[in-house]
Amino acid sequence: MGLTGGLKYPKLEDFEHPNIITTSADLVFNWARSHSVFPFTYGLACCAIEMLSSGFARFDIARYGMEVFRPTPRQCDLMIVAGTVNEKMAPVLKRLYDQMAEPKWVIAMGACATSGGPFYDGYNVVNGVDKVVPVDVYIPGCPPRPEALFQGLLELQKKIQKMSFVAPTAAAASGK
Amino acid sequence: MGIEIGSVRLSLDDLAARVAQEFAGELTDVSIQEPDTIVARLECSKLHPVARRLHDLAEIAYDSLNWIAAVDYRTHFESVYHLYSYATNTYLEVHVEVPRAKAVVETVCDIWPAADWHEREAWDMMGIRYEGHPDLRRILLKDDWIGHPLRKDYVDLAENHPNV
Repeated sequence: MGLTGGLKYPKLEDFEHPNIITTSADLVFNWARSHSVFPFTYGLACCAIEMLSSGFARFDIARYGMEVFRPTPRQCDLMIVAGTVNEKMAPVLKRLYDQMAEPKWVIAMGACATSGGPFYDGYNVVNGVDKVVPVDVYIPGCPPRPEALFQGLLELQKKIQKMSFVAPTAAAASGK
Repeated sequence: MGIEIGSVRLSLDDLAARVAQEFAGELTDVSIQEPDTIVARLECSKLHPVARRLHDLAEIAYDSLNWIAAVDYRTHFESVYHLYSYATNTYLEVHVEVPRAKAVVETVCDIWPAADWHEREAWDMMGIRYEGHPDLRRILLKDDWIGHPLRKDYVDLAENHPNV
């Protein structure tokens, strides 16, 4: 796979205003961002146990360069919402999300963060964190195993690697 | 001075008899629940003085409050105090009937400080107001929540769910 993890230089004609510098900058930035994601420790319930165990040696999230869990939103670019979001937590979660610096991503880990899960329609439960903040990757499971979290992180990597400083042309956006 | 658990050795029957005698006319329907629990009922208005005496009893003092439960029986509420006595190593369950129309009980925070958060939770979930509580705020739900969700007649309002 090599150092760049399969990243390819975007073609000049993919861009509306072809520019050598931005094409290369995209590659470098996407490579750096996708391989050193700083997750925000947002453990709310039992999913947090799986998230934390994925940080330890047995599963070892460091293999993907994402082991630097931070307890402050200001040093993070990925919020892993691991657990049930309730009505009292929702405004707090929104505020912490707003405090994260761009670019930022959100993973909804487990059934609760995805849809409310087993507590769906409970009187104090928000039916999915996507009601509060935009979500990039949903991971099913109750709770998902660390391997499932890793698959979610790899999907997020693919998403990050498609980012660009310049707006792609309509043709490039449709994948032609 | 350390507390020796179970230093007072009394059979549960003897203990129940002694409690019933000590609180004659106050604790009613005293019964035992094997292996280690005495169950009794108490009138709402007598709660605070009786609780004080239960806490201060010589020898067999119920000096620890394990938790407070709140029950909705539709016709009335019940505030249930689960007490524990280190000296006798037994439990005492005091059932206090609370009328639905006026769900107000006197606080026992000043007797057992552990009651603080339990009374707040009972207020939050069941809407039983504990008079004299130093800080009777909601503990689990948002401060501006409307209603008390564990009541049998609770109706969930859209105002409680801004994130839909």
